[in-house]
Amino acid sequence: MSNTIVIDPVTRIEGHSKITIHLDDHGEVVDAQFHVIQFRGFERIAQGRPIHEMPSIMARICGICPVSHLIASSKACDQILAVEPPPTGADLRRVMNLAQIVQSNALSFFHLSSPDLLFGFDADPAQRNIIGLLQANPQLVRDGVGVRRFGQQIIEWLGGKRIHPSWIVPGGVDSPLSEETRNRILSTIPEAIAAIERAIVWYKSSLLDWADEAASFGDFRSAFMGLVDQDGNVDHYDGLLRVMDADGNLLADRIDPTTYTDYLGEAVEPWTYLKSTYWKAIGYPQGVYRVGPLARVIVADRMGTLRADIELDEFRRRLGRVPGSSFHYHYARLIDMLYASERIEELLRGPDILLPRVRAFAGINSNEGIGVSEAPRGTLLHHYRVDDDGIVQWANLAIATGHNNLAMNRSVLQVAKRYVKSAELTEPMLNRVEAVIRCYDPCLSCSTHALGEMALQVQLIGPSGVVLDELVR
Amino acid sequence: MTDGVLLVGYGNAMRSDDGLGWHAAERLAEDQRLAGSVVLQRQQLTPELALDISESALVVLIDASTALAPGVFSVTMVEPAADVLDRTWSHHVSPTTLVAIARELYGRACEVYVVSCGVQSLDIGDRLSPVVEQALPQMVDAIAELVVLRAVLPEGLDEEGRIL
Repeated sequence: MSNTIVIDPVTRIEGHSKITIHLDDHGEVVDAQFHVIQFRGFERIAQGRPIHEMPSIMARICGICPVSHLIASSKACDQILAVEPPPTGADLRRVMNLAQIVQSNALSFFHLSSPDLLFGFDADPAQRNIIGLLQANPQLVRDGVGVRRFGQQIIEWLGGKRIHPSWIVPGGVDSPLSEETRNRILSTIPEAIAAIERAIVWYKSSLLDWADEAASFGDFRSAFMGLVDQDGNVDHYDGLLRVMDADGNLLADRIDPTTYTDYLGEAVEPWTYLKSTYWKAIGYPQGVYRVGPLARVIVADRMGTLRADIELDEFRRRLGRVPGSSFHYHYARLIDMLYASERIEELLRGPDILLPRVRAFAGINSNEGIGVSEAPRGTLLHHYRVDDDGIVQWANLAIATGHNNLAMNRSVLQVAKRYVKSAELTEPMLNRVEAVIRCYDPCLSCSTHALGEMALQVQLIGPSGVVLDELVR
Repeated sequence: MTDGVLLVGYGNAMRSDDGLGWHAAERLAEDQRLAGSVVLQRQQLTPELALDISESALVVLIDASTALAPGVFSVTMVEPAADVLDRTWSHHVSPTTLVAIARELYGRACEVYVVSCGVQSLDIGDRLSPVVEQALPQMVDAIAELVVLRAVLPEGLDEEGRIL
């Protein structure tokens, strides 16, 4: 080796998001803002690209849910080609999307959130992390690693290439499923389901410990939005949009997602790069709605698989039909994972899953396409306009974290009002601000890797605009 | 994977030099000196890689760095510190934590190296800056050399055991 061996850890520049908490003359919290301060610019990158490149480019938006962008992008391309994937191709896309749901939810629950739940929100951060978790509950970590690997392996096995599979393509998927791969995936499902069910049992046993947090972690009235199938069951790949209000009334049902601009507005604020989407009929900023696992289990009539439906029944017995607290994203995420694992098995046992016809081919037959799916964090829309040669002229991405932006801001404000009691920030307060955002599992950190390890910076700002205190983690 | 060599290039391929790990992975996957090794592209490190670290003979993580001068690369052996602390805030897991998880959970961690290269540009784009592009072949050679030295891949040696 001709180069120096350096033993220092790799250091990184931080700075992706910050929270400001504003106080009035009496020291009371009057506002709080969650700022995303890293410009992502993926819509700009899309301009000038040939449409067939879009899925693989969009897959690079996110390191945690590349498949979600691959799916939504390919569905938008399907519309531009004016094709429908053959049924087997669509089912194989579903399998990969569900594997993505499992692995992303697993990261959120097992790795990021379970330390909060095990040690509590007042615990020392030195303990409240995955290493502390390893020592306190190694089975939970083992299950988390196992469930993530389960989802990741399905994605890799389906992709069938050594690096970066772009198996999902406009018109379907690139190659059919082999019997060997089908059987290999099926053999891993029982352990994944067992691990998820162990986590559900553990979570339910500790749920009552967090009643105070559940009452202040984004516990407010809002609408919820997600995709449902023709029977009203949850649907992560296709389906129609359903929006339910805080009382369980349907604000809209069976909306064709390609008409999203009729219903959803997008607001831009000068203090953040993250767009805030809102329900147009209510207006901005009152038109708050939430998406993601909690929204999915709320808006759907049923999940549609045996074990997940049993858990959904218990969820509703414990919390009601429309629980208002974002704390319950954790519980919903577990049910979502359980459903996804069961549904993968159902799809793989389908009689036509090994058929060779998995892709439709066509040229440019439309100048506009909209692709919609449920990503781990919620409803994801890709909207492209192309010229007659299929070159992208314009792109709009409505991502789940944008749908949840207004709700996240409201949640941070609620936590700040409950826990900020002076002109000084404290660690327990910071822990809770961090944890309430984590409920939504926002995906902001993958914009750049070298710059991209998202720091949490909280500023307390007095009525004159002076920064009274600041904490960075 | 069991007792093999795993090479993971990670970063964001749409932010110029941040995608260095991806560019390196593409070259490594085609490199005959590394035949038999598994090459992955990842946007970030995630916990299940700990299982791979427990099952592999050698893992090399290829990364972009803002701490090094542009085009300068370093090879770092990962030593899990006793006080390792990853923020639970981020989706990213550090190499140190991955090694610690492998040891704690599976009782074994192979040698893990981080090969980092200093970046010049993190602007939006899928191409490397000239200075990093120029460093890439040397970096790939260094990784191949490291793998041959530490994992003794038979494919990397000639009949007399010399590095090809």
